[in-house]
Amino acid sequence: MSSNMIMLKSSDGASFEIEEAAARKSKIIANMIEVECVDEDKAIPLQNVTGNILALVIEYCNKHIVDDDDDVATEEASEEEEEAKKKKVDDWEAEFMNSMSLETMFELLLAANYLNIKSLIDLVCQTIANNIKDKTPEEVRKIFSIENDFTPEEEEEIRKENAWAFG
Amino acid sequence: MASSSVPLLMKDEEPRKRAELPSELISSIMLRLGAIEILENAQKVCKSWRRVSKDPLIWRKIDMHHDLGDWRISNYDLEIMCRHAVDRSQGGLVEIDIWHFGTDNLLKYIADSSSNLRSLRLANCDQISDEGVVEAVVKLPLLEDLEISNSYEFSGKSLRVVGQSCPNLKTLKLNCSPVTHDFFNSDRDKIAISIAESMPELRHLQLYGNGLTNTGLNAILDGCPHLEHLDLRECFNIDLVGDLEKRCSERIGVLRRPNDSTDDFPLAMFLESESDYDSDYTYGYDRDFPFASEFHGD
Repeated sequence: MSSNMIMLKSSDGASFEIEEAAARKSKIIANMIEVECVDEDKAIPLQNVTGNILALVIEYCNKHIVDDDDDVATEEASEEEEEAKKKKVDDWEAEFMNSMSLETMFELLLAANYLNIKSLIDLVCQTIANNIKDKTPEEVRKIFSIENDFTPEEEEEIRKENAWAFG
Repeated sequence: MASSSVPLLMKDEEPRKRAELPSELISSIMLRLGAIEILENAQKVCKSWRRVSKDPLIWRKIDMHHDLGDWRISNYDLEIMCRHAVDRSQGGLVEIDIWHFGTDNLLKYIADSSSNLRSLRLANCDQISDEGVVEAVVKLPLLEDLEISNSYEFSGKSLRVVGQSCPNLKTLKLNCSPVTHDFFNSDRDKIAISIAESMPELRHLQLYGNGLTNTGLNAILDGCPHLEHLDLRECFNIDLVGDLEKRCSERIGVLRRPNDSTDDFPLAMFLESESDYDSDYTYGYDRDFPFASEFHGD
């Protein structure tokens, strides 16, 4: 495995050093590396990601690059070992997501989307879904600072649609 | 297939406010919510969430699995809600899970509009009958995965029609309470033999609590040569010893035996087991599901 290091620079000017293999988790960065847009001395500027969010993205990528290596090394692992390893990753992910507010989660999702890291998008979407599934529309709006932009006509349309609600 | 595999139109020229999600991310979140959660909550958040909730792709899978103890559920007629969800799929429905409600009429509604359906799972649906299942499966030629568990009106006499109508059927789950069987009935292998004679492509068979005997099990092993996964928990008419035991363990990749633990069985709490019957063990709530009637809206 290549242990080349590359630099990433957040929108607010913070620089982060990351192993190339971890950075390749981002399809966008991987593409940049493929077409040799990456100058070894220069940091890759990520205009849409702030430093605190980029730190989380890097933490995730670093963690998962290690896991991927494990996969290669233990190809013939028994079912139980596979399960134990999967549980370890799941536990880490649960703790990782637990450590942040819904607000941060939202920012992280936008960053994962911008950087095109599929597994992180899935993880954050799943966590958000788990968090909002029992919430009322008002609560969801509040959590994510979403404005209620329905017109009275649209509100009425939704109300009429509710034929399943008992009076 | 759904006509609209085209992404939703998103007119996004206006400057984006902070924390506005692109529609593909809203969609990705919504795909992880159940049907009740989308219709009652997510679609009412704002215009863009509502727009995404109308995309037929969100409704390729309709998950109406819910907990009986969920108090919100008693406020809704789930059958009407399910029909609405099916309408939103615009014929693209691939997978549907229904728990604790549903009638033959609902099945007909689903089958009439969802010829692409691959997976139909019904659990604790007391009003679904053999006739209703027959009427549905003849319209579902692509069905690969069928579950009808703990549904008292369903006897299994329609299974042959299921097998004949759904040649791609790979997974069948028919789970019930073992105590509901008449163990001395001469027909106790009827279900097993119907399966053996009409479902040669099965890979995965779960017959929790079935009354079949060694005769029925041998028939299944003969008739379903591709079987990889066989769950016979709580099937206490089977005596898994000698040649039959050998045959099972050699042929079947994952075999759950009659006396194996039921801890990881999702419906175990709804199905009485023999050991429960013999002991003083009772469930966290009444065995007769006193709430059940509320959920059918009758």
